Amino acid sequence: MLSQEEFEEIIADTSKRIDSDITWEADESHALWVKFRVEIVSDNGYPLFIKGNYNQVIQALTFVLVHVGFGRIYGLDLGKDHRNPDGIMIGEKHKHRWSEALRDKQAYVPEDITAPANQPVEVWQQFCLEAAIEHNGTMRPPPAWQPNLFL
Amino acid sequence: MTSFPCQNIATNLGQLFNCSEANGFVRIRTPYLYPDGDVIDLFFKEQEGKGVLTDLGETLRWLDSQTSTKWLSKKQAQFLQDIQLTHGVESYQGMLIARVAEVESLAEVLTRLTQAVMSAADLWFLSRTRVPSLVSDEVADLLEDQNIRFVRNEKQLGRSGRSWRVDFHTWHPQQSSFVQLLSTGSRAAANTKANSAVAAWSDLSHLLAGSSPLRFVSLFDDSADVWTPEVISQLEEFSEVAYWSRPDEFLELLVS
Repeated sequence: MLSQEEFEEIIADTSKRIDSDITWEADESHALWVKFRVEIVSDNGYPLFIKGNYNQVIQALTFVLVHVGFGRIYGLDLGKDHRNPDGIMIGEKHKHRWSEALRDKQAYVPEDITAPANQPVEVWQQFCLEAAIEHNGTMRPPPAWQPNLFL
Repeated sequence: MTSFPCQNIATNLGQLFNCSEANGFVRIRTPYLYPDGDVIDLFFKEQEGKGVLTDLGETLRWLDSQTSTKWLSKKQAQFLQDIQLTHGVESYQGMLIARVAEVESLAEVLTRLTQAVMSAADLWFLSRTRVPSLVSDEVADLLEDQNIRFVRNEKQLGRSGRSWRVDFHTWHPQQSSFVQLLSTGSRAAANTKANSAVAAWSDLSHLLAGSSPLRFVSLFDDSADVWTPEVISQLEEFSEVAYWSRPDEFLELLVS
């Protein structure tokens, strides 16, 4: 189990960085949404990576920080509502933050995210700030979604 | 936005479901949740007089966000097929879809698709970070598929008198092997596991001699970037090294 102390240490670590460009991938197996995955490098060698995915049909965007040993420990959702374990609805802009008691089920409204879901590059820049991640590269905009016969 | 689905749902399922418009679809906000508390939304559209209900790929997108792997595991994919069969839903381009047939009410289809979505989301429990023993099960599945006989967690006595558990003792007409699986998501645990494997191989090395010598294979689960070149080199001194991302090479070691 990831302790609260370990999680806070990871989030606060300013040596976390991504040393590559980010390109969104489209695939037939998930035709409506695109995704990416990048490794995070840090001085302490935390086994972390970021996954992002974006459903352009419904403007739902997600960035998650994944610890290889424990799964998602921090993440941003836009375009999807969330209910906390205490029953409070958080809304369609929320961040999940790890806690020992509730793991990744507790979310809050992140005031630092002001860009909308259909501007993923801007959202990404804001996301990296609070997560203390330095991106030494460029995130390319997602490929334009092509409506298919089904839709 | 058509009021048909919303009125139908309100009448048959109650006020816990909410409707809104989303890019040509009717978005139906259900009272159900994904395992992390995110709300399950479904989407309705009429095409050529037929109603279609779908998650627009959101369930697999949610699953993708929760796991450290790039794709669904073979076991998850098999369970997903089973879920589709159980609930009578289709999977198309990553979307779970149910058609609203004339004999069914929208509420019935909505209930069926929601059940399928929730079952599919529960595949998260089969992800590696949830159940560390899954890799071992996948290795067992591979060996079975290739008709390689094996015994799991077999106790073997070392020269020191200490007992060791071998993850897989495989048997093939060409070669018998001991396989130790090194699988972890933590760099700190990686060194400990490697040291344990080295100790085991060293203490069991008397089994490498004789008329039917065994082969020692250290199988690295390289889905996580936790194994350093130094650790791999260390194991190479005592065993053959294979990688789970290259199953053909692993199998070749067991049968040649």
